[in-house]
Amino acid sequence: MISFIGRSVIQKIITLFFVSIVSFLIIHIAPGKPSQVDPMNPKFTPEMVERFQKEFHLDKPLHVQYLYFYKDLFTGETVSWKDNQSVLKKIWERFLNSLPLFIVGTIITWTLSFPIGIRSAIFRGQFYDRSATFLSYLLISIPGFFFAYVLIIFVVNQFHVPVIGMETFGIGDGASLPYIFMDRIWHLLLPSVLGATGGIAVLSRYVRSQMLEVEGQDYIRTAWAKGLPPEQVHYKHALRNALLPFVTMFGLILPGLIGGSVIIESIFSWPGMGRMAYEAILARDYPVILTVNFVSAVLVLAGTFISDLLYLVVDPRIRL
Amino acid sequence: MTIRRFLIFAPILLIIVLLQSYFWVPTYEEQTKGNPQRLNEYIAGSIGDASLLNPILTADSASSSIENMVFEGLMDRDEQLRFRGRLATSWEVFEEAYFYVNPSADVPGLGKADPQDVANFLKNAKKKKNAITTGLKNSLDYITSISVIPPRNYSVTKELKSPDTGEQKKYITINIAAPARIKLVLNRVEPNFFQNLSYLLGKNYFESFNGKAYLMSDSEMEKGILDKYAGELLPAVEHNPVLLFHLRPGVRFHDGHLFDAYDVKFTYESIMNPKNLSPRIAGYEPVKSVKVMDPLTVKIVYKRLYSPAMETWGMGILPDHLLNQNALKKEAHRLGKDPNTFSMRQSSFNRHPIGCGPFRFQEWKSDQYIILDRFDGYWEGPPNYKKYVFRVIPDQLTQEMEFYAGTIDSYDVQPHQVKRLEKDQRFQSFSGTALGYTYIGYNIRRKPFDDPRVRRALGMAIDMDKIINYVLYGQGEQITGPFVKQTDYYNHNIQPVPYDPQGALTLLSEAGWKPDKQGWLTKDGSKFQFTLITNNGNDLRKAILAIAQDSWKQIGIDVHTDLLEWSVFIQERVNKADFDALILGWQMGIDPDLYQIWHSSQTNPYQLNFVSFKNKEADDLIIKIRQEYDHNRQVRYCRMLHEIIAREQPYTFLYVGKWTAVLDKRIVIKTIDDTGHIGYKKITPTKTGSYSFYFNKWIKLPEAPAFMDEG
Repeated sequence: MISFIGRSVIQKIITLFFVSIVSFLIIHIAPGKPSQVDPMNPKFTPEMVERFQKEFHLDKPLHVQYLYFYKDLFTGETVSWKDNQSVLKKIWERFLNSLPLFIVGTIITWTLSFPIGIRSAIFRGQFYDRSATFLSYLLISIPGFFFAYVLIIFVVNQFHVPVIGMETFGIGDGASLPYIFMDRIWHLLLPSVLGATGGIAVLSRYVRSQMLEVEGQDYIRTAWAKGLPPEQVHYKHALRNALLPFVTMFGLILPGLIGGSVIIESIFSWPGMGRMAYEAILARDYPVILTVNFVSAVLVLAGTFISDLLYLVVDPRIRL
Repeated sequence: MTIRRFLIFAPILLIIVLLQSYFWVPTYEEQTKGNPQRLNEYIAGSIGDASLLNPILTADSASSSIENMVFEGLMDRDEQLRFRGRLATSWEVFEEAYFYVNPSADVPGLGKADPQDVANFLKNAKKKKNAITTGLKNSLDYITSISVIPPRNYSVTKELKSPDTGEQKKYITINIAAPARIKLVLNRVEPNFFQNLSYLLGKNYFESFNGKAYLMSDSEMEKGILDKYAGELLPAVEHNPVLLFHLRPGVRFHDGHLFDAYDVKFTYESIMNPKNLSPRIAGYEPVKSVKVMDPLTVKIVYKRLYSPAMETWGMGILPDHLLNQNALKKEAHRLGKDPNTFSMRQSSFNRHPIGCGPFRFQEWKSDQYIILDRFDGYWEGPPNYKKYVFRVIPDQLTQEMEFYAGTIDSYDVQPHQVKRLEKDQRFQSFSGTALGYTYIGYNIRRKPFDDPRVRRALGMAIDMDKIINYVLYGQGEQITGPFVKQTDYYNHNIQPVPYDPQGALTLLSEAGWKPDKQGWLTKDGSKFQFTLITNNGNDLRKAILAIAQDSWKQIGIDVHTDLLEWSVFIQERVNKADFDALILGWQMGIDPDLYQIWHSSQTNPYQLNFVSFKNKEADDLIIKIRQEYDHNRQVRYCRMLHEIIAREQPYTFLYVGKWTAVLDKRIVIKTIDDTGHIGYKKITPTKTGSYSFYFNKWIKLPEAPAFMDEG
């Protein structure tokens, strides 16, 4: 067990090192320059461009730039080229904004997928199952931005309440605490539902197929043969065994913490991670792009590590 | 079964909790109509957030729109585009001209003269008033004082860059024994001054001055190097235009500190400070010195003639007392940073700006909003609105929805949205000619684009009316040259290139291009074919790309098209001048300086004259325009330059777009006259298309007022 942890930590650090090199190279070799050295502005003189390049170390060879960047990153001194703010501070702020969206979205996905999937499996081939399948595919195939527009227009025209932003604009002045809190929840509703739709559609399919697989096992037939009530067969014997792969999926949702969603966040004016990363890419704000990239690589690796460990804990058949 | 119950009740509970929040949310109705405070706020929607709120550090439009509210410059332009004093009440533009006394030159009627003689000679000539030409007579009249600067010895150290590597740095010291110099103060700026003076002092008086003879270097080196510096260190003649600003007394920054000339000097120094990496440095590079004469007078001397200089003093003035060395050091200590590397770029001022503009900064939440409160101590009287709010809404559709709901007052409205909104009784809409234009540029280095007839013919084959009607929905106008259409600089006498495919064919056949059997134009056995490119992501340009390709195919030119991602387009094609023809646009300023886009010295890779337009006449005019301080003469030069460019057709000038804006009808201009009578006026855009020119007088009324039709 301990040797497994040690081995895997070393492996992951090596992977991380390569990820850092590759992402650094991709961003620097890709065409386009930071907007500060954009030569299409008639007001910019070559001397200024040169000065900016020096300030950003862009005049140095790539490996030196690499060292500069990761030295700054690990000492926490990386600053965004756009506004000279500390990148880690910026990411932390945005992370806090994206977090509620992520949490509510995840809760909705997981709480809704299971009942839907299980029921589909139990009533396989019947009307409920077919309509659930139909809806799932519908939700998977509708483009997110379109669905978002339809929902926004419907809600705004029907209920005349604001839906965009993290809170109703200007509510801070004079409203009491419960109102502010509930207002926040309301603003979470649409974007997190939208973020969850795709997840629900996929996850409920997955639950269904897992359930079906388990229900075909011998021990379920045994359970039926013992004359157990259907509820006990489905929810105790089948569900518990079908749950195994999902436990490990918990580790894999970790990277979603930092990814955010560019489209949903832009449409809903949500000041989250995805939007920041997207704007940084457009402006070629290398420090922000690379830091987000690095942090998400760390999270992906941590996620796989956690899911490995979870497997160990929940499935007694696996021994390392 | 508990599991089953849990699986059913958990999602239901969750949904109920989420949905019930609806009942706690204020409706749009409560936010707008039911809220009297709302009438005192102006909320502007914007796609992007500001980056930094410091006018010397940013050049993006979102930041500028806030900076213009918080900071104030010395001057701006009024409705007629004339300069108007803001923090400066008035200003004087004059010139200090210098020339070195040339001991080897013969002055007519004086012979070889020493400095004092030359000075007296000029004084006498001024008194006599019988000059040979009127130019000379005027020039002499402009002189207000003549003095002699005695010879002096000094040395300078120059950094030498070896031309091969550019890496090795060598320093050389040059000892200069500068001869006597004559200083003349003129009461205005006269670019032709020395030309006129040479009628008096002899034709070659200035040209024959040999600066090299006065330079000495202690180290051994190639001869050429001293030659190179002679012109720079000892120019025979020198124009030093001067701007003398008289500042407005009693103006205060938002923190109550009095504004004075030291703030102006400080702002200039901050821009020039290399640590600050100001993107605005180019406009201030020609400044020789900024001198505080007294707390309300500042004298700015320029190294050379540079007429765009006036424009640059519209720059927001920074508070010296909050950002100078001491203040920054204190801040660095407080934040625990190294005071030696801490610069204005790191200062928290950039997120809590203090200026002396009409609005004071209140709060900034990144990517959400910026709130400004009105500044009651504003020198021109406080604005009518109590609050200015800048809301970041990155999606155009949601912007429009918020606008309908009344929670934003203005947003970046699109042409097709204007069509929808202008019929609505609740709104007033504005539109006017914008400042940027779109063009097709030809790479003149390549055949056959080196022939102006070919370029003109290509322009004649394109039907501009169709582009404006069907691509722009009528939101554009034809343009014939590189100047802003609503200024005097634009030459309205020039006719646009007509749509005439037959004429185009005639022109092309003059240039040697004849149709072959299949109808393709050929010359010396090769087909007329090229590639037209533009950047991906701009639908208008993409549509024009297709239209141009089709129009040219119809007269027998084989055109291929290519869409490239912006950075590839710029880096690989434009910067390296690797293209045949391209579609692109320029955003213009009011000032007519075109040096970087049209001067023949700017045709190298990475420079902006990428079509390689070279014309001697045009070069002269471009230099004259940026040296001329007299508006009328500048206008004349510009119109001549416009004519040359229209004749040469290095670009096919396509169109200038229109800006559009939509506002609630309840927003009006509120004026209070001396008797205290309150009047309301409809908002009308100024001649130059600024509808928000009187923004400080705007207010929103509870009901839309009825205005008489003013014909």
